[in-house]
Amino acid sequence: MNLFWEFFKFELKFRCKSLSTYVYFLMWFTFSFLSVASENFGPIGYNNGKVLLNGPFAIATYDWFATLFGLIVIAAIFGTSILRDFQRDTYQILFTKPISKFAYLGGRWAGSFVTTVFAFSGLIFGTFLGTFAPWADHLRIGPNHPWWYLQPFLSIVVVQIFFLGSLFFAVAALSRKIFVVYLQGVALFMLYIIGITVFSATRSLERFWSGIFDPVGLLLFDDITRYWTVAEKNVLSLSWSPHVVAGVFLYNRLLWLSVGFISLAAVWMLFPMSVEALTARSQGRRAAKAKQQEDFEARPKRSLVAAQLPKVHQVFGPATTWAQFWSLSRMRISTILHEISFWAITGLLLAFAINNGYFAGRVAEQNVWPVTYLMVQAVEGTATLFFYIVATLYAAELVWRERDVHADGIHDSLPMPEMVDWLSKLAAIAVVELILLTVTMLCGVFMQTLAGYYRYEFLQYFKELYIVTFPQVMTFALLALFVQTVVSNKFVGHAIALGIFIINPILFNFGWENTLYLFGFIPPYIYSDLNGYGHFVPALFWSITYWLAIAAFLGVLSIALTRRGSDDGWRARLRLASARFSRLTPAAIVFMLIAVGSGAWYYYNAHVLNEYLTAKQRRGIQADYERNYKKYENLPQPKVTAVDALVDIEPARRSFSGTGTLTLQNKNASLISEIHITNPRQSVSAVKFDRPFHQVSCGVRDIYCIYALEQPLAPGESTLLTFHVGHTTHGFKDGNEPPEFAYNGTFFDADFFPHVGYNQGMELDDPRRRREEKLGPLEEMAPRGDATQSLYNLFSKDSDWISYHTIVSTSSDQIAIAPGYLKRSWEQDGRRYFEYDMAPTHIANFYSYLSARYDLRREQYKGTNLEVYYTPGHEFDVADMLEASKGGLDYYQANFSPYQFAQYRIMEFPRYRNFAQSFPNTIPYSEGIGFISRLQKKTDIDFTYFVTAHELGHQWWGHQLIGGNVQGSNMMSETLAEYSALMVMEKKYGKDQMHRFLRHEVDSYLRGRGGEVRHEPPLVLVQREPYVWYNKGGLVMYTLADYIGEDKVNLALHNFLMKYRYANAGNSLSEPYPDTREFVAALREQTPPELQYLITDGFESIVLYDNKALSAVVTPTADHKYKVTLTVQARKMKADGNGNESPMSLNDYIDVGVFIGKKDEEKPLSLKKERFTREQQTFEIVVDEMPTRAGIDPYNKLVDRISDDNTIDVTKQ
Amino acid sequence: MALTITGLSKTYPNGVKALKNLSLTIGNNMFGLLGPNGAGKSTLMRTVATLQDPDSGSIHLDGLDVLRQKIEVRKLLGYLPQEFGVYPKMSAADMLDHLAVMKGITSAKERKEMVDALLQQTNLWEARKKALSTYSGGMKQRYGIAQALLANPRLIIVDEPTAGLDPTERNRFLNLLSSIGRDVTVILSTHIVDDVRELCSKMAIIASGEVLLEGAPTQALESLKGKIWSRVVASDDELRALESQMSVISTHLVGGQHEIRVYADANPGEGFHEVDSDLEDVYFLNLSGQSQN
Repeated sequence: MNLFWEFFKFELKFRCKSLSTYVYFLMWFTFSFLSVASENFGPIGYNNGKVLLNGPFAIATYDWFATLFGLIVIAAIFGTSILRDFQRDTYQILFTKPISKFAYLGGRWAGSFVTTVFAFSGLIFGTFLGTFAPWADHLRIGPNHPWWYLQPFLSIVVVQIFFLGSLFFAVAALSRKIFVVYLQGVALFMLYIIGITVFSATRSLERFWSGIFDPVGLLLFDDITRYWTVAEKNVLSLSWSPHVVAGVFLYNRLLWLSVGFISLAAVWMLFPMSVEALTARSQGRRAAKAKQQEDFEARPKRSLVAAQLPKVHQVFGPATTWAQFWSLSRMRISTILHEISFWAITGLLLAFAINNGYFAGRVAEQNVWPVTYLMVQAVEGTATLFFYIVATLYAAELVWRERDVHADGIHDSLPMPEMVDWLSKLAAIAVVELILLTVTMLCGVFMQTLAGYYRYEFLQYFKELYIVTFPQVMTFALLALFVQTVVSNKFVGHAIALGIFIINPILFNFGWENTLYLFGFIPPYIYSDLNGYGHFVPALFWSITYWLAIAAFLGVLSIALTRRGSDDGWRARLRLASARFSRLTPAAIVFMLIAVGSGAWYYYNAHVLNEYLTAKQRRGIQADYERNYKKYENLPQPKVTAVDALVDIEPARRSFSGTGTLTLQNKNASLISEIHITNPRQSVSAVKFDRPFHQVSCGVRDIYCIYALEQPLAPGESTLLTFHVGHTTHGFKDGNEPPEFAYNGTFFDADFFPHVGYNQGMELDDPRRRREEKLGPLEEMAPRGDATQSLYNLFSKDSDWISYHTIVSTSSDQIAIAPGYLKRSWEQDGRRYFEYDMAPTHIANFYSYLSARYDLRREQYKGTNLEVYYTPGHEFDVADMLEASKGGLDYYQANFSPYQFAQYRIMEFPRYRNFAQSFPNTIPYSEGIGFISRLQKKTDIDFTYFVTAHELGHQWWGHQLIGGNVQGSNMMSETLAEYSALMVMEKKYGKDQMHRFLRHEVDSYLRGRGGEVRHEPPLVLVQREPYVWYNKGGLVMYTLADYIGEDKVNLALHNFLMKYRYANAGNSLSEPYPDTREFVAALREQTPPELQYLITDGFESIVLYDNKALSAVVTPTADHKYKVTLTVQARKMKADGNGNESPMSLNDYIDVGVFIGKKDEEKPLSLKKERFTREQQTFEIVVDEMPTRAGIDPYNKLVDRISDDNTIDVTKQ
Repeated sequence: MALTITGLSKTYPNGVKALKNLSLTIGNNMFGLLGPNGAGKSTLMRTVATLQDPDSGSIHLDGLDVLRQKIEVRKLLGYLPQEFGVYPKMSAADMLDHLAVMKGITSAKERKEMVDALLQQTNLWEARKKALSTYSGGMKQRYGIAQALLANPRLIIVDEPTAGLDPTERNRFLNLLSSIGRDVTVILSTHIVDDVRELCSKMAIIASGEVLLEGAPTQALESLKGKIWSRVVASDDELRALESQMSVISTHLVGGQHEIRVYADANPGEGFHEVDSDLEDVYFLNLSGQSQN
């Protein structure tokens, strides 16, 4: 025991003296401090929300994060403790002494454990001190509870240190290789990331075993907390109880603790305490080496009276310099290629690329063809990190190699210029990187082939990997070479390089966004199959050139400062540098000029030609708008009744210009003498009225202009407003390129046109950003029935219904599209013109312009003209889109009302934005969410089909029926479109398949409410909560249809629609729009009394169930049937907007069913709605076949956080 | 070829004065530089090998200013540092070929001839394809001399080449050195007196950065002829008594007994007998003289 203490104390003392211990501590301290003290940093702070920055959820998040990235720290501390003796050969002394295994291993282990726990305790201190930072957001910092710190620290950090530390300790002790020690941390990290990718790509909702077996905790943590509401995140810790979330956390901890103990036991049993055994292997190798030498030495020696050496000629000149460079480079590259570490990295890269490439065709909810941009993204994506790591590592190795192997004496006295030597190092890095990039590309091509996709776009691979990525990596390599040249220690150099690498995103988050001062930074870009690299090319080219030139300049400095000879003092080095510099001056000047030139050009484009605004400045504009003009929000204004516009799109210049006329009608009962125009995109000019007027004021950037009419507009009277509109692209911007304009794939909407009155849509909605701007909370939408807001249309406050006519022109190779029927199309002056007219139908004030080179597929279906405009090569989904359109048209016309248009058109736009949007008979559909999908299995969810049906649904819900500008109205658009699409899906797939889709809806809804930043409303009061109007809404409507019958629901919808559609069409005075009160009334009319609670619960409250199958036992009956005795539990809770729950009494009908077949593929033998009044009920159900599963609400029609336990296996008695 | 070193001084940042106004002239021959550890030998060698600059002084190699025209000097130089490592996984043949390119032997044919000849002469031919990192100390040292001789260098600097070699290896190594052509300046630094005795026609003894003695070994031996006396001492007390009376140059263990050597013009006392002087006596005598100063 005494000896144990000796070892323990020694280990601690050693660690106390070691700088790294404090660096680790400081690292975690800074991380957690900033996570609390800055909202621009850290996993919780950066996500806006009401989650307390020092609450139990936040602290647990910091802890998981730290233990994940701390894998390498844990490996370094535990691994080296045992390896130290072998590296320094002290083991020979140690193990000849009478020390016990326990004392040696135990002391070392315990010392490392205490050290690691100390290092990670930085998390506690950092978080705690962060709460006192005066500049922090104290609205998100609650009182400090010691338990909130200790509980996660003990159950996450300490357990992780114990388990991982013991494992690494065992591996290190048994392998005794430094290489293994450092690699195991990295390898576990990488393998884990791969595992996570694989798991998430399966889109499994299985959460029990995956949570228990998760060694690092990301999945586990998500399993437990994914449905936590804000209220819960601020009070709940990860519970040790076996009853919370089925005890996943407890079992996970126990499992990995035991792995820790097993590791310790293994090392205890297998570690040999004798020098002989410890060195057995190396002795063998050493012996072999000695033998080999003896063989050489034993040969008969010839006389050593030396003969004259041959005469050689030394030639020095450019050719020799080149030969020297070549020879040096070859030697350096071959040295790298002979190292295991290089192959380990390549192997990891291969594993990464193949793995990610395998999942390249799985995007979010759907399977798609692995087109090249997706494949490049997949194989390159995370691998980019490898390229940077390799650049950093090898830059250091190459700078220090001669010194590390003591070959510097010979090397430095060779007759070569420093530049040749230095360039050979650069060349070696370049070649290694090119090898890795090529491996990446080959993986991509291989994985495309494997996926059966043969349209390899080699040029795109080439551009992305060799033209965009390679120079960036080399920029970083040059920086690393420079840093290593300047610093006196390799590891200090690594630390600095790493620091520069991670400081960029941090600075960016803190508002330092300028590409010109973030080292190696380039503006973001997106490849699109429509537009290629498109307009991103110049900004990319100049920023890459700029940084490469700066890095090359650093390279020149590195050459001048190269260590050569034995004098490492700075005086000597500077003297040598100044001597060398004269020869390097031309290169330095050239690079400097390129840097200055490209930087100046970049600056001119990003800051002079274009206004440069940081994210904060852009938010400032929004905030100013709200501050200055919100007071006019309810000022009576005329409404737009007609739009006529002439628009010329110039795709090659990413610009458009045009003129237009708005017909404005006073639909108020009072006179209007001032007309206010919001100009959100600074695209409107020359506003004129058809009567005398003058401009009263115009805000900064003409964002809000007030015009006074000399003669006020009387109620019912109209005036014409004419205007110029346009957007001109000048040069390039520093990121933030407007996504609307592309060489191929222009898509902009009415946002560029004048908006009458105050536009609430421009307000900042992120609570964190509002606090930053001192704006106070976002104004709630008006309650239903509000006298003023009910008169406004939910989607466009400045109009009710409009007539629309436009002539749009574009370049001769493109097609331009706007809502309306094509009246005419012609060519003039090398441009193509299209005239669209919406007459006779009036539409919502909601229109868009698109222009691209399209292929077109057109089909007539029962009097409706269906068209899909797609980019050549993206024909995969076209047929599917047409099918969905037909299915939707049939269902909606049969059940809701006739379709108001004679055409339905879908057109592709670049994936700079990822959505599909329903304009009148016109659906711009992003290439990012459709056009390339691929259905492999019959059970795959056809997302394209669903989205197409959803957008078609909006032609009814949003384009026929529009609610007032009050709470809840958006559900009458989105929820009903979602419901419509679900029903069309059900027609295609059948009822049995729907529950898989529904489970994803429940999952999205529950996750959505966990991230709520304000408060969750009931469905009929929804304001800005997509997870409520899509996911909850769809589910609730589907369930209602299941309970009261699809026909009943559709009848209610039909009645409601026919009564309220086209509200305010043709009125001279505005009338109230419908709201969800009328909608609910229509539903209640069709719902039997005993099921009215469904509407109260589903639409008007937030209700959650906790349903669970407890036991299911089958016994054969006398008449050869099977009797299942099934006990189930049903619980029901009501939640408030913050997620606080209170129990509700039961009087509900819930499905109870018995199934045959495997889990997830079961077929119902019996399925009945049973009335539940008690929490636990037992049913006896007789079925004809031998059942396998049974349970309650098996199809997940009700919102239940644990949907997995609703059914269980049936056991035999 | 003649190397003229004038007034060389070097003080390291930590205050150590490695060279103190050191001057030497080295002609076209094998020049031995003797001195204890820390005498400044390696500093001097590295300075001549263009690897570091002195604080003051100059070095000229015939017409070349060694301190300024480094690249020119490097073309003529063959340098074997005191300690050197090798790249892992490189074979001797490949490495020598690489170094030959670096030294400006552009003709592949000449390069091959030279590398092969050197591998033969250093007796590394059989092992030429083995990785250098697997070489034993002696083999590595022979490889070291091979690389120093690659391009018919006219200035060869070998720093402590025999340290750590066993007697056979050392012999073989010295043989090799001795076979270098006559018109080459070779500087051999060592603290092993026998190296100099066996190889060098000229030598210098340096200590604490200063030259204590410069000349031919034979000359130095001549001057001690008849002045070295030896006897066996039985105990430490006896030795101490003798040390206080006369100048004891060195003590050796011979068959477990302490034999002392004393410098004196005449027989210093009872039990002493005259012995042949050797270079070691010169060395120790100069060192003890220096330490008394």
